Amino acid sequence: MRYLKPTSIHEAADALESSRGTILAGGTDLCVYMAEGVCQPETLIDISGIDSMRGIETIQSGREEATVRIGAGTTVAEVAASEALPDCLRQGAQAVGSPQIRNLGTIGGNVCNASPCGDTLTPLLALDARFVLRSTAGTRTVESEEFFTGPKQTVLDPHEILEFIELPSASCARASAFRMIGNRKGQAISQVNAAVSVAIVDGVMSDVRVAVGSVAPVPLRLAGLEELLSGKTVEDLHPANLRDAVLEGVRPIDDVRSTATYRQEVTVALVFDALAACGGQRSGQDEGAGAW
Amino acid sequence: MVIRFTCNGRAVQVEAEPEARVIDVLRDGLRLTGTKEGCGRGECGACTVLLDGKPVNACLLLAGKIVDRDVVTIEGIAGEDGSLHPIQEAFLDTGAVQCGFCTPGMILSAKALLDEIDTPGVAEVEEALAGNLCRCTGYGKVVDAVLAASRRMAPGADRGGE
Amino acid sequence: MVSSVSVIGKRIRKVDGREMVTGEAKFSGDYIFPGMVYGTVKRAGVPAGRIKSIDVTPANAVPGVVDVLVAADIPGPNLIGILPPLDQPVLASDEIRYAGESVALVVAESAEAARRGAQAVAVEIEAYEPILTVDAALAPDARKIHETGNVTFSKKLRKGEVESAFERADILVEGDYETSFQEHAYLEPETVCAVPGRRFTLYASCQSPFHIRGHVAANLGVPASSVKVIQANTGGSFGGKDDVATEIGALACIAAQRLNRPVMIAHERKESIVGSNLRHAARIHIKTGALKDGRIIAREVRVLLDGGAYASESPFVTMKTLIHAAGPYNIENVSVESTSIYTNKTYCGAFRGFGVPQVTFASESQIDELAEKLGLDPLEIRRINGLRAGDPNATGQIYEQSVGLLETIEEIAKRPEPAGRKDDDRHVHGTGYAAVAQGISNGAEGIDVTGASVQMSQDGSVLVGIGLTELGQGSRTVYALIAAEVLGVDVDSVSVRSVDTDAVHDSGPTVASRSTTVGGMAVHKAASEVKKSLVSMAALMMKTEGENIELRDGFAVLRTDESARIPIASVATAAYWTGFPLMNLAFSKAPEANFDDETHQGDVYIAYNYGTHRMDVRVDTLTGEVTVLNHLAAHDVGRVINPLGLEGQVEGASLMGFGLAHMERIQYVDGIIQNANFADYAVPSIKDRLPTATITVEDPNPTGPFGAKGAGEPPVAATAAVFANAVADAVGVRFTRLPITREDILDALKRGNHD
Ligand SMILES: Cc1cc2nc3c(=O)[nH]c(=O)nc-3n(C[C@H](O)[C@H](O)[C@H](O)COP(=O)(O)OP(=O)(O)OC[C@H]3O[C@@H](n4cnc5c(N)ncnc54)[C@H](O)[C@@H]3O)c2cc1C
Ligand code: FES
Ligand code: FES
Repeated sequence: MRYLKPTSIHEAADALESSRGTILAGGTDLCVYMAEGVCQPETLIDISGIDSMRGIETIQSGREEATVRIGAGTTVAEVAASEALPDCLRQGAQAVGSPQIRNLGTIGGNVCNASPCGDTLTPLLALDARFVLRSTAGTRTVESEEFFTGPKQTVLDPHEILEFIELPSASCARASAFRMIGNRKGQAISQVNAAVSVAIVDGVMSDVRVAVGSVAPVPLRLAGLEELLSGKTVEDLHPANLRDAVLEGVRPIDDVRSTATYRQEVTVALVFDALAACGGQRSGQDEGAGAW
Repeated sequence: MVIRFTCNGRAVQVEAEPEARVIDVLRDGLRLTGTKEGCGRGECGACTVLLDGKPVNACLLLAGKIVDRDVVTIEGIAGEDGSLHPIQEAFLDTGAVQCGFCTPGMILSAKALLDEIDTPGVAEVEEALAGNLCRCTGYGKVVDAVLAASRRMAPGADRGGE
Repeated sequence: MVSSVSVIGKRIRKVDGREMVTGEAKFSGDYIFPGMVYGTVKRAGVPAGRIKSIDVTPANAVPGVVDVLVAADIPGPNLIGILPPLDQPVLASDEIRYAGESVALVVAESAEAARRGAQAVAVEIEAYEPILTVDAALAPDARKIHETGNVTFSKKLRKGEVESAFERADILVEGDYETSFQEHAYLEPETVCAVPGRRFTLYASCQSPFHIRGHVAANLGVPASSVKVIQANTGGSFGGKDDVATEIGALACIAAQRLNRPVMIAHERKESIVGSNLRHAARIHIKTGALKDGRIIAREVRVLLDGGAYASESPFVTMKTLIHAAGPYNIENVSVESTSIYTNKTYCGAFRGFGVPQVTFASESQIDELAEKLGLDPLEIRRINGLRAGDPNATGQIYEQSVGLLETIEEIAKRPEPAGRKDDDRHVHGTGYAAVAQGISNGAEGIDVTGASVQMSQDGSVLVGIGLTELGQGSRTVYALIAAEVLGVDVDSVSVRSVDTDAVHDSGPTVASRSTTVGGMAVHKAASEVKKSLVSMAALMMKTEGENIELRDGFAVLRTDESARIPIASVATAAYWTGFPLMNLAFSKAPEANFDDETHQGDVYIAYNYGTHRMDVRVDTLTGEVTVLNHLAAHDVGRVINPLGLEGQVEGASLMGFGLAHMERIQYVDGIIQNANFADYAVPSIKDRLPTATITVEDPNPTGPFGAKGAGEPPVAATAAVFANAVADAVGVRFTRLPITREDILDALKRGNHD
């Protein structure tokens, strides 16, 4: 096995192009795959030495509105701790694995791994995130909603690197929240997770984004529900009112972690809780009951 | 290749492949067997070490990533003279050790927490130790131990017995 | 009748704890010997079939591989197990009975190469239709998993006349209950390390070194005395390590002999789940008859245990369920039939509680149902029926002492209700109670003998040797405390040596909460003999009679004049030079069980631990999440030797019972375990911990050291049962299956609303 540790994104792109290697970020997914023998890379390209891919900053480019830019190599722990980021993304990051996993794992790795239960994916969808992909040919930008194509599948080409994640400042201004439920209270993989981002003016909701994970092959936006909620007041929220619109959107399956029925039921509760949290209401979920 | 890093305060170098797991580098290369392997998949925390002061799973960490960085294992916690660290003392006093297999990882996670927060609350202790499974204790005494250690380590506290 | 003591009952640090907090403690995997090679087992991968061929050539071609063993390479009978007739091969030669079955051992220069080698072994198996349920196994035309058929073990208990009593009963309740397979999930996977030589040395993570020595030697074809087993520090066991340590211990020794190199075999987590024993899944039918005043007059129970592919400890577990199915109650008419069954799944065996958690959950659920039908408070029905001193239990055994069940009930009853638990439109609250009795020591399962040695050096320090193992439960600390108490020395001056079969006496298996009771008794006896020498010597030195001498605080003290005292070290030195023995090897033999094999009436256990738990829960009706607000665990432990250790046992066992009740479940699809890892097999994390408060009742046990009884197991059963009762109380629907997951709770809420 070859192990390369480039120090710039260009070097990394060149190495990827020429070696057809595998990107190694934190390694919390990749090392598990290697240990299980499901992935046996010939070349590992460790991107943790590329300083430009780490950190969170607000950029103002030309006449365009400001954007929050997160380096793909930023650790999940750093995302969880960043005051500059919206609540739902920080909460989603905080729900990833354990402190040990969050200290190693990166947000870019979570995105590129594209597990349907990835805990930062629904927040990124709810925040209209864009992904900046880099190759030797340059960069292209993909909307988060178009990025995920199936379980562990994305539009990423084998020679592309996720360099940055961008959040439009408008989405950062909205209220947001994330909720998840797992098979235990600590260090749990999501059975279902939900992220909500919404503008609330005088109690009335607009610009609603609801994203749910682990209920379909890819993280989903619930367009029907978003439409339904738009213009409604926060006080009128009730789980029963959301139910039909949620169930219409999700397509869960039975697996080792949960049943489809349970996933459906609980999605309603989590979406409700996340919305309620955005409205400043006390969440119904018990303190400490969710994994964050 | 030769992997150079700081281990428990000393500069060390070990011959290892960069894609070798750090848990193997420590256990086989440096014979620091206090770092335990309970799952090899990042799920149990028995292999926890501190990398630049932060807890990480040594079973998921590749040797190429620790070059020029600072690693602390359970062997680096007690004083040079063999005196125990207040966290170690607290684990013994409160009965937080049963079989002892999870203990090194628990102590390192606790150390990372107490290095950051002087007087954590119960929820913070639980969050900090959420990646360390223990099948023996039921965790109650582990939480007690970390809280007791924080009181002992607080500036001005009597470092003797409770 | 609590005698005055000085160290017993104090909160003492674990005597062997220091090396564990520094990382110095050596577990089996921490040994490194020059030239050591590593073994990995090749597993069948299909649950049932016949081996047609095994091709090891591809494995031999893997770089680093040095040897591959198959069944034919085993010098001995290729058989392991707990009870004769042994039914489990070390390596399968012919029939495959479960997917995790070992078929070959690959040995290589590195663990990694051995793993690759194991993958490369080509096993051709003619697959059979696997038998995956007890019903399929019991079907009249079922294929026989073993020549003897598919029933592993079956026994009956008969007390009185249930049929006529049911006719007299005012009220009958009847129901079926189920529990799932549970994994031990000790943090240290099974590991052994064999060193060849004139004799074999085997370092093992294990529970019962003498058992392992016997089987390893037999399969090596050498006498037991040619094998030395050293129990390394063991990272938890809970009943789960002996079968596997025997299997991989034998393989490591055989490979070590062939290669003349040390061999280590360390299971990966996945292997630890698929290839080592689990807790039996159970199906339990219970019928209970009571009078209007709440007195239970009859109970009939049928227990079916899914024991998987091999017998392991199924017979013992079956016996335990048989004897405990009536619960801690005085019931005149009891009829129980317990049967364990072979299926094509991972074999089941010993696991903390030994079948008692399964039957206790079922029994205590039904007791609550009965209370509800009778309009009785759950504590009241347990009070009415609970065993008291002098009452005959299900086997007709009567204890005149140390039956503290009622005290534990009253301890629970007198604690105030926790405040502030108002239901709202989303959350409901509930409170549950459960009572348990668990027999201590081998009792029905075998003769119970333990040997222990106590040696005092001339400097007054003490060395204890015993064949029962420290697995984290704190038994070394208990032995040190007992020796210190008897000899009047400080606990710090007592060492308890590690178990090395060359150096300590066979003490039988470390199971059934017998360490403190039976093991402690042996240490007590041996220490008392050494004490005799010291007292005699001190009497000579002080020119008085032995009865005037007391050993205390490191001195031999004259009772009549406290100022006359000689340091114990001086007494020990003088005793040595005078020729008084300072070492003793003592035996403790529990009174032998004495019961009728047809009816199981008679004396079975030396004592029972009794307990009552209470749990208060809040349930989120939208997600099914449960928050445990309060958990009280009252146990009659006879006498507390070390409160710190005792609380640790109660808290740890309780969380294990909670896992069984709420979170843990081995999931099979077509005979293959789907969740053989800690991500999908949910062992409780620190955020799932219980707010357990340990309450002790001390009703001294005449057969235990200082009156103590074991306590490491009963909280598993009580917690599993109390959780079910608390959640049922909250949601208003009874549960008949463990675990009760959040899915089940939501489901029940929906059903409840539609009823
Ligand atoms: C015990 C355990 C618990 C976990 N719990 C959770 C959880 O609760 N929630 C959750 O969401 N996840 C969880 N994970 C999964 C994992 O930790 C996260 O997905 C993490 O964010 C991955 O980041 P990484 O940097 O470690 O990725 P890596 O393992 O380094 O990479 C993952 C994949 O993405 C590719 N990749 C990484 N970065 C880039 C890039 N910049 N450009 C292109 N490709 C890239 C890699 O080639 C690889 O295929 C858990 C993992 C473990 C082991
Ligand atoms: S061994 Fe690394 S987390 Fe379990
Ligand atoms: S003390 Fe045994 S696993 Fe924690």
